[in-house]
Amino acid sequence: MIDGHEPTRWGRLSLRGLTSGLLATLLATSLALLSEDLGPASGVAIFMLAVTITAVIGGLWGGLFAAVLASLILPVIEQPDFAIRFDEPRDIVAAVVFLAIAVVVGLVVGNAADERDRAARREREARLLAYLSSKLLSGDLPDRVLDDFVQALMEPFGLASCVVQVTLDGQVIEARAVAEDLSGGGPTEVVPVVTADIPLGTLVAERPFGQRPFVRDERFLLEASTRQAAVALDRARLEVRARLAQLDAETNQLRAAMFSSVTHDLRTPLASIKAGVTSLLDTGVHHDEAQQHELLTTVLEETDRLNRLVGNILDLARIRAGALIPRRVPTAIDEVAEAVVARLRPRLTLWQVKAELLLPPDLPEVPADPVQIDQVMTNLLENAARHSPSGGTVRLRVAREEGSIRVRVSDEGPGIPREEHEKVFEAFYRGKENPESSGSGLGLAISKAIVTAHGGRIWVEETTGGGTAVVFDIPLEEAVVL
Amino acid sequence: MRVLVVDDEPQIRRALRTSLEAHGYEVLAVATGEEGVVGAAEQRPDLVLLDLGLPDLDGTEVIRRIRGFSEVPVIVLSVRESQSDKVAALDAGADDYVTKPFGMEELLARTRAALRRVGGDEPAQPTLVFGDLEIDLPRRLVTREDEALHLTPTEYSLLEALVTNPGKLLTHQWLLRRVWGQGYGTETTYLRTYVRALRRKLGDDASAPALIVTEPGVGYRWIGESG
Repeated sequence: MIDGHEPTRWGRLSLRGLTSGLLATLLATSLALLSEDLGPASGVAIFMLAVTITAVIGGLWGGLFAAVLASLILPVIEQPDFAIRFDEPRDIVAAVVFLAIAVVVGLVVGNAADERDRAARREREARLLAYLSSKLLSGDLPDRVLDDFVQALMEPFGLASCVVQVTLDGQVIEARAVAEDLSGGGPTEVVPVVTADIPLGTLVAERPFGQRPFVRDERFLLEASTRQAAVALDRARLEVRARLAQLDAETNQLRAAMFSSVTHDLRTPLASIKAGVTSLLDTGVHHDEAQQHELLTTVLEETDRLNRLVGNILDLARIRAGALIPRRVPTAIDEVAEAVVARLRPRLTLWQVKAELLLPPDLPEVPADPVQIDQVMTNLLENAARHSPSGGTVRLRVAREEGSIRVRVSDEGPGIPREEHEKVFEAFYRGKENPESSGSGLGLAISKAIVTAHGGRIWVEETTGGGTAVVFDIPLEEAVVL
Repeated sequence: MRVLVVDDEPQIRRALRTSLEAHGYEVLAVATGEEGVVGAAEQRPDLVLLDLGLPDLDGTEVIRRIRGFSEVPVIVLSVRESQSDKVAALDAGADDYVTKPFGMEELLARTRAALRRVGGDEPAQPTLVFGDLEIDLPRRLVTREDEALHLTPTEYSLLEALVTNPGKLLTHQWLLRRVWGQGYGTETTYLRTYVRALRRKLGDDASAPALIVTEPGVGYRWIGESG
C-alpha cells in the first residue's frame, strides 16, 4: 500500500512520530536511571540516541517532539532528588544546549527519513505508472486495456473492488476487478476518465470495509493512473478505427477485383444461355432433335456454372462479413469424403477422370462443420478434376496426423509453379498459365477461409508425378480461432 | 394426383405448374404459408412442394401446422445456404428436400418416391428385393446372393428403417429415435458406426453407393432400386 504522507516537505506530527518519541524517551529515561553511576555525559548520550532513533522512525516532527521531551526530562533526572530546579544557570544552559543539539539532530535525521520515505513512495508510484503505461500502450483492444488497468490498481491501492465504465464511439465498455477475499463497503473514490477534455466515463475504487480513507497523495496517483488509462483508451480506439479503415480499403480493392471478374464470369454463361434459348424459340429455324438436345445441354451446363459462381460469391461475401462460423459437431471426415466422391462421380465420369479414395480404418471424429468440410472437399476435388488430363486420376486421401486429420487431394495435372503456391488461395486469383480457366478463382479462397475458421491449415504441395496436391489439416481438438 | 405448390416466386410457380402438368399432375399453386396451410386442409392434395423462404410464415412452422391434421408428403424446396433450416424442416416432419436451383428430373423423381411411400401405387410387400439383396420383413431375414446375412438386432432395425422409407432422406435424429428409442437424438457416432457396419455387410461402397447414400451433416437415404 502506498504510504499516506502528504506531499509537503514539512509534514505534521504523525501518530507514529508521537508514539515512537514517547516510547524512545521513556526507554532513554529508564536506561539513564539504571546507569546512574555512569555520569551525566552518558545520560545525554542516551537521550541523544533516543532523539535520533525517533527521528529515523517517526520523521522530522517525531524527532523534534522527542528532543523537547528529552530536554525537559534530562535536567530532572540529573538531580539526585528528581526535583525540577532551573535556578542554576549551569543547568539552564545545559538544557538549552541539549535542546538545540537535539533539535538539529532531529531535523537532520528526520528530514533524511522523510526524504527516504518520499523517495520510496515516488519509486512505487513511478513503478505503478510505468507498469500501467507498458500495459496500456501495448496496442490492445479497449476492453482489454481496461481489464488490465483495473487489475493493476487493485494491489497498490489496497482495493476491494475497482470498476471502470467508459463510452467509446457510442459503445459502453465496462471492466471490473474484485478481490475475492475482501468485502467492499470501505472508503470509495470516484475518478472521472477524461481524455483531451472529453469525459469518457468514471472509475470507482473501493477499499475494504473499515480501511483508512484515501489521502491526497493516493488521490493524485489514482487520477494520474486514470489519465494514463484514458490516453491508452484513446489510442486503442484510434487503432481500431485505423484497422477498420484498412479493412475498408482492402474491401474496396477486393470489390474492384470482384466487379471486373464477376462481370465477365456472370455474363459469359448468361450469354450462352440466352443464345441457346433464343435459337430454340426462333420459329423461323427448324432444329432437329440432336441440335435441340445440344442447345439444351449447353443451357443446362451454363446454368450449373452460373449457380456455382453465385454460390461462391455468396460464400465469399459471407466470409468477408465474418459470418462464416462453423457449426461444429463430431464429424467423420472419411464419411464426408465418401459422400463427396459419391456425389461428384457422375461429373468426374463425364470429364473422364477417375477418382481414387484412400481411407485408413478407425479414423477418429473431429469437431467440424460437416457441410463446410463437404464444401472444401468438393472444391478441391472439382479443381483437381478440372486440371486433370483426360483419363487421369484424382486421389483423395484422408490420414491421421499428430493432433489432426489430414486430407490430401492430388491430381495428375501440369502442376502449379512454386511462386504461385501461396497466391492460389487469394480470391479471384487465376493461374498465369491458364487465366481463362472455367473456375471462378474463388474455390480455394473459400476453402482456405473454412479451414482457417476450423483452426486448421491449408497448403499446396507438388506430387512426385509433377501434379498438384492441396492438403489441409483439421485439428482433433477444437481450437480457439480469433 | 394433386400437388400443392407453395412458393412466393411467380416464376417458380409457373415453371413447376408447367412441368408438373406436363407429367399429368394436377397443380394448385399458392404464394404464402397461410394459404399453403389452408390449401393443404381444404384441397387435400396428395403432395406438397413447400418453399422454405416464405414471406409470412417460417417454412418449419408451415410443416408443423400441416402435420397437425395431415400426413401428406411434404417436399421442401430450399436454397443451399440454409442447411440448418433443411434439417429443422425434416425434423419437423418434411419428407425430403430439393435444393434450389434444381433440375425437374430430380424433383420429379423425389415426387414419385414420396408418393410411392404413402402407398399410392404399390401395395406393401412382405419381402423386398433390391438386386441380389432380399429382405423378408415378417421373418426379419436378410439374404444376399441367396446367403443369409447375420445382422445384429440394431443393424436390422436400421436396415428396416431405411428400406421402409425408400428415397426418403432420414435425419440423424429421426433414425436414432426410431432405432435406439425416444431418449436418443444426438448420438450420431453410434449411428455412423452401425451404418458403416451395415454397408460392409450389404457390400455397399459409400463412395459409389447403390443402397445407402450419406448426406453429410443431415442423414442417410436408401436408394436401392426395387427388383
